[in-house]
Amino acid sequence: MKRGAALLALGLLGLAPGCASLRPRPAWQLPPPPVQEGSIVPEQRLHRAVLENGLDVLLLEDHRTPRLSIGIALRRGIAVEPLDQAGLASLTTEVMKRGAGSRDALALARTIEDIGATLSADAGWDSASVGLTGLSEDGDKLFDLLADVVRRPRFERAEVDRARAETIQALEQEKDEPESLLDRQLDQVLYPGHRYGIPQDGEPRSLMRLDARALREFHRRLFVARNAIFYAVGDIAPDDALARVRAKFGDWEAGAVPEPGPPPPAPTPAARRIVVVDRPDLVQAQIALAHEGISRTDPGRIPALLMNTVLGGGGFLSRLLTRVRADAGLTYSIGSLFEMRRQAGPFAVSTFTRVPEVGRVVSLVLEVLESMKSDPPGEDEFRLAKSFNVGRFVLGLETSQAIAAGLIDLDVYGLPRDSLDTYRTRVNATTQEEVADAARRLLHPERIAIVVVGPAAALRAQLEPLGTVEVVKP
Amino acid sequence: MPGCARRAALAVLIAFATGAGRAGATPDVQDPALATRVTTLANGLTVLTLVDPSTPAVSFQMWVRVGSKDEARYTGIAHLFEHMMFRGTDRLPPESHERLVTARGGQVNAYTTDDVTVFHEDIAPDSLPLVIELEAERVANLKITDEVLASEKQVVLEERRLRSEDSPQGRAFEALLALAFAAHPYRVPTIGWRSDVEAVTAEICRRFFKTYYAPNNIVISVAGSFDADDALARIRRAFGGLERVAEIPRNPTKEIEQRGERRELIHLDVRSPILAAAWHAPKTGDPDGPALDVASGVLSGGRSSRLYRRLVYDEQQALAAEGAYWELQEAGLFYAFAMVRPDGDIDRVERGFFDEIARLRKEPVSPAELARAKRQIEVDLIARSNTAHALAARIAGDYVAFGRIRPLEERLRGYRAVTAADVQRVARSYLIDDQRSVVHVIAPPGSTPRRAPPQPGAVPPGAPEAR
Repeated sequence: MKRGAALLALGLLGLAPGCASLRPRPAWQLPPPPVQEGSIVPEQRLHRAVLENGLDVLLLEDHRTPRLSIGIALRRGIAVEPLDQAGLASLTTEVMKRGAGSRDALALARTIEDIGATLSADAGWDSASVGLTGLSEDGDKLFDLLADVVRRPRFERAEVDRARAETIQALEQEKDEPESLLDRQLDQVLYPGHRYGIPQDGEPRSLMRLDARALREFHRRLFVARNAIFYAVGDIAPDDALARVRAKFGDWEAGAVPEPGPPPPAPTPAARRIVVVDRPDLVQAQIALAHEGISRTDPGRIPALLMNTVLGGGGFLSRLLTRVRADAGLTYSIGSLFEMRRQAGPFAVSTFTRVPEVGRVVSLVLEVLESMKSDPPGEDEFRLAKSFNVGRFVLGLETSQAIAAGLIDLDVYGLPRDSLDTYRTRVNATTQEEVADAARRLLHPERIAIVVVGPAAALRAQLEPLGTVEVVKP
Repeated sequence: MPGCARRAALAVLIAFATGAGRAGATPDVQDPALATRVTTLANGLTVLTLVDPSTPAVSFQMWVRVGSKDEARYTGIAHLFEHMMFRGTDRLPPESHERLVTARGGQVNAYTTDDVTVFHEDIAPDSLPLVIELEAERVANLKITDEVLASEKQVVLEERRLRSEDSPQGRAFEALLALAFAAHPYRVPTIGWRSDVEAVTAEICRRFFKTYYAPNNIVISVAGSFDADDALARIRRAFGGLERVAEIPRNPTKEIEQRGERRELIHLDVRSPILAAAWHAPKTGDPDGPALDVASGVLSGGRSSRLYRRLVYDEQQALAAEGAYWELQEAGLFYAFAMVRPDGDIDRVERGFFDEIARLRKEPVSPAELARAKRQIEVDLIARSNTAHALAARIAGDYVAFGRIRPLEERLRGYRAVTAADVQRVARSYLIDDQRSVVHVIAPPGSTPRRAPPQPGAVPPGAPEAR
């Protein structure tokens, strides 16, 4: 307390007139600390193994809380579905939650919830996963339940019907949300005739084709040892975890990794398209500008990422947020993103503004995109983009769950296992010229798709100077 | 991005309510928050420091005891002001605070609730000195000009359009609060009414700033990997010169007694009708709180819960249904929310929902349901991730609401003590029909009928079942 009072007095003195020269320079005028490199994965807590049937095992010990998460992640996801069965992966994982082993839907839910655990089963474009999280003292039960859900789902006809109807109804409900309408229309414009063009959960037409048999078949093909990674994160000893994995998954069918889906068309769109989804009742329009981006494994992904930080991925460091929000007050949020999948996913700028300002916002975005090519990131922008990405990367790996998810992602995409450890070095090694080149190579404002959700009557005149406007109903 | 937090507050509760209470089993729980150090500066500023070297990050949070409940004349000013805090001082141009922290990979953001305004930075330890000075700089020297205010108002109005005006759920909750609270300022949306936000002037902002952003109205919390003595010394240097304010005005209005159900109908272009309802419930920290949380677990904690089973699963009328206790500093609500299926019937959903509420009053919950709901809450409390951010938020939130940090063990004891009789008692005390406010969001009458989606159960041909 005494020491505190002395420090306080010192602080007040520093603020007193006449003593200004004694004050140290503000911290914001000092150079930022040097960027750290080096390994980030806690090797002493990480354990890997491969079972005889090819199942990869990843264990990350963390005993700070008595929590345990276990699960199975797949190396393939929605992208392998046939086009006319869109929604198959999502419906399969959903119905897996509705009865497994000796338990029907209600009994399964009760058993899980009795121990305060949570079950998740989801499909993404390139992976799917089933996971259970609970307390480590319930480890036995968590392993039993996981093995049932992964290996012995019931796929009862009544549950399939129920889940399919819910999905169809939820797809209808999403049309009440302007952001969902925007995403859906954008996918259609960018990927006609491709799986990427249909919502992840499918569409009513394709969902109606799915029955219990289709789900069982898909499950049999995807949920096999060679296509899977078992993970355990949390309060568990590695020997113990490995013994339980062997007991529950040692005799799991080996199978094979399915072929990935077909590559999408590039370039997409071939020429500029402007599409308005007509919602006469909205006071704010949702806006996206998009074209093809790059894949998760693109060798130029780090320069692309740095370029995108300067463009619209770095919050107030980025040109888009500065121009459209900070300077002009035209939106609450604007950003740009390369959605990296196994195949080139979209590059998209998305934002929203009051209806009368849509033309102005779209023109501003196009201008900023052009400027990225004609006036590539300067030395300052480049330096800040690097320190932003390196710093954000480290903070993003604060939890063991995040580290495990990062390692699984590398496996799913066949990227080197040490990629997390080498990331900061790779970012620092990137040159300003590589970033400028990424802008020239990857941005195509002249043929970018422009999709707007809002009242067509008010939007048409604002957008027509930019090209032909197509209007569609939600 | 600075954001309005009414939704955030609800989200926290939802996560909490769905999260687990088997009697007997008591895992060993380490509560890192027990190591929190509380320091009060001569000017009244409270500083909470909690060192946890097991995380690579530090979270610095500044909790100002002012929220939309304290707004006297202009609704939304607490939130608008939160935005203004990012617009610079004489020494720092607008947004440079955010840029400096972001450039090091840090996360900078802020939010406003009915009760508090919170500014937070999640950073690497070597950025802590920078963040301390940046926060102190804006609290001491914030510059408010007409020009900057005009552009920030436009940003806030875009946020308002996004979250309430064009969002059916946002509209529903905005209307529900205005209906449930007839008098208490919790009735106004935190983001403010449009006309008020438009009318705020720079002078009004400056007065608000002087009134509420005083050191004796601020709690700073720092958690994660850092040197507590060094941080405290820096905080004293940076914030020690601020002058305390003699009196911080508070709104005296108390909620008036409700006599009978209140209803509101909202017409929007929706396929999915929305049911939102609320009952008056006690303020945060009340001994009845745990029993209300358990009631929420019985109603909507997972797929074995009553509302899911009935409305989503058996009757297939709703896409989601939940009931949860929402606790604020001066009052609380128990709210109901259901997203009705496009092919569903909102009146049937309402009947089913309120039936289940009546059942809580009529009969005690079964031992299995009670144990399950308690276990879910317990596991959620024990197993929640102790990130630097989560720790800093927990200690500051507790300190602001209760003047102390509630040990985890104490909270667990509170939940473990809940009996079936307690759940029935709180249902009978609070969840009564006369105390209910109900909002329906539906498509306007006479609007174009929707294309009927495919009927459930219509299994395509050629699909013989073989199991």
